[in-house]
Amino acid sequence: MSRTVLICDDAIFMRTMVGDILSQAGFEIVGEAETGVQAVEQYKALRPDLVTMDIVMPEMGGIDAVREITQHDPAARILMCSAMGQQALVVEAIQAGAKDFVVKPFQPSRVLEAVNRVLAA
Amino acid sequence: MDTSRYAALFFTESREHLAAMDTALLAIEQDRQVAHVDTLFRGMHTIKGMAAAMAFEAVEQVAHALEARCDPLRRGEVPLTDYEIAALFDGVDRLRATVDDAANGQTALTPTAAVPSSPPSPTNRRVVEIRLVADCPLPGVRAVLVLARVRSLLTVRSTQPPEATWAEEKFDGAFAITVEGDAEERVIVESVRGAGDVARVEVVDARDREAAPTQVARTVRIDASRLDALLDLAGELVITRDRLVRALEAADGPPDRQVQRATRETARLISALHTEVLEARMLPVREVFDRFPRLVRDTARELGKEVMLSTEGQEIALDRSLLDAIGEPLLHLLRNALDHGMELPDDRERVGKPRSGQLVLRAARDRASVVIQVQDDGRGIDRDAVRTRAAAQGLIPDSMTTLSDEALLNVLAHPGFSMATHVSTLSGRGVGVDVVNTRVRALGGHLELETLAGAGTVFTLRLPVTLAIARAVIVRVGTSLYAIPAAQVVEVVDAEQRDLSPGRDAMQRETVTVRDHLMPLVDLAVLFDEEILPATVADGGQYLAVVESAGRRAALLVDGLVAQQDIVVKGLDPVRGGSHWFSGATILGDGTPALIVDVHRVV
Repeated sequence: MSRTVLICDDAIFMRTMVGDILSQAGFEIVGEAETGVQAVEQYKALRPDLVTMDIVMPEMGGIDAVREITQHDPAARILMCSAMGQQALVVEAIQAGAKDFVVKPFQPSRVLEAVNRVLAA
Repeated sequence: MDTSRYAALFFTESREHLAAMDTALLAIEQDRQVAHVDTLFRGMHTIKGMAAAMAFEAVEQVAHALEARCDPLRRGEVPLTDYEIAALFDGVDRLRATVDDAANGQTALTPTAAVPSSPPSPTNRRVVEIRLVADCPLPGVRAVLVLARVRSLLTVRSTQPPEATWAEEKFDGAFAITVEGDAEERVIVESVRGAGDVARVEVVDARDREAAPTQVARTVRIDASRLDALLDLAGELVITRDRLVRALEAADGPPDRQVQRATRETARLISALHTEVLEARMLPVREVFDRFPRLVRDTARELGKEVMLSTEGQEIALDRSLLDAIGEPLLHLLRNALDHGMELPDDRERVGKPRSGQLVLRAARDRASVVIQVQDDGRGIDRDAVRTRAAAQGLIPDSMTTLSDEALLNVLAHPGFSMATHVSTLSGRGVGVDVVNTRVRALGGHLELETLAGAGTVFTLRLPVTLAIARAVIVRVGTSLYAIPAAQVVEVVDAEQRDLSPGRDAMQRETVTVRDHLMPLVDLAVLFDEEILPATVADGGQYLAVVESAGRRAALLVDGLVAQQDIVVKGLDPVRGGSHWFSGATILGDGTPALIVDVHRVV
């Protein structure tokens, strides 16, 4: 059975890209969220094996979404998607419970490495 | 009592014990049998006793401390953990250092010679040293992930540099975490590696680090790629130096004394720097040889053969890049020897040999080269079978009735040659040798073969000690430049000389006689398919470079002498055909590429 993924990003472009990388590697994209609020709702509904989380999103940011999700499910596996220069925010997300991070622009190999690390932990 | 006359004996015997202890340590690392600790213990005990008799206080104390450390291990009171094993390795190294110190007249205990004699303190304070990969994105964040993983196993006391500074731009991904707790080293290392982008992780006793100020000066670990970069830079410097020197020589007007002196000094310093960097890259062949005993044992068992592998000359040092590159060729040769050379135990007995075959892996220095041999006492290569097959494949003329060792090697190394259609003991023999030969040549070395029916086979790899730089004579052939390794050039003579007595040998090859040596004449322009320019002939600038390899000479006809200089040797990609006559390539000081002539081939 393939692993399920929830992709959270406000840009369709990034969602498509991450989705392509992961589905080509055999993951099943079970949901997409454009805001932090949607991310939390969908996580509760879908219980995916993995969440990819953008940091800056409308309504509720990625870090707050991480906090809410891990409060609900401490074992949640969340991979942060960050841009260069967001070092402090990524650290905050990790302290909030995210398990790993990748930096844009995405290299498929790096994304998959990080995903595998998160799933192996 | 005057003990000085026993000193030589003490050193010889101590070193023998140290060598045996090394072997025992490796064995411990491999199979964790307590029996090897006994060997270790005996060695220490003997050295301690001898040192006491010699009043070598430092040796005695270090041996004593090691003995104390070993004892509970030997009794099985303390398990053989990675940590303990690392401490034993370390301890034996220190013991060796104090013995060496004593040999140099330093017999009192120095602070650096002390060994931690007590087992790890109850708090077990250790330092986890980490370096992230060079291209790690957001290293500060990655470090936080590493720290989180370490925290899940151990109590973190502090970090160096402080965690607060990890987000700063100057954080380079190298940091250390001081911890307390019992987690096994292996578990810590695995967990840290699991954080991703970790290039290196090491767990060391905190006391070793607290005593750091003196130790750091002694050894610093350097990333291998950094050493490579350093060598490349030093190599480029050497070449730029040559260019500078030549430019000054060519400059108009009287040379400036000051500039000349400074140039000379710079040139000297650059040479020294280059030598230093080359030496920093040297490692004992043990690094490679150590991989094989297990493999040989397993392969032999698989094949139902009995084989003893012995190694010689493990301390011979080679450039790291060469060391990395010879592993695979050696593996091929060892497999060949096991698969094709060695007979089955019953067959050996039938011909009066011991059931167990001898396989020797040997390294030795031979002037500017290092010789590595793989020797077996098996059945030898069946010359007649190879000859028949090679003749059938058109690789040798039918008229060739016997194959010399060299001709045999040439056939075996021929890419197309195969014994595969015979389902015989030799099947597949050709393939491995081809690969090995290509590799060894790409490293600037060459392969030799000796085989005797019924007695065995020796493959010899002859390699340059350092890969990177060689002195070469740069010659012009047609419009191209070629480099001939200077070590193989005996002399260069004017081709127009009268007393060369040109002639032909029995095989109708052109010959010349230089200083009473009759040798074949090789026209490189013909050999390398260079355009023959009438102008160069008109120059009258043709020369003969007399070269020698493996005791044979030849005179190479070239169109001009350009220079003698150091070149940076770069391997040739064996896949790109047409490199039969060349062992590598180089870029000359002015940016012109030149191929490096494989003298062994040409001769």
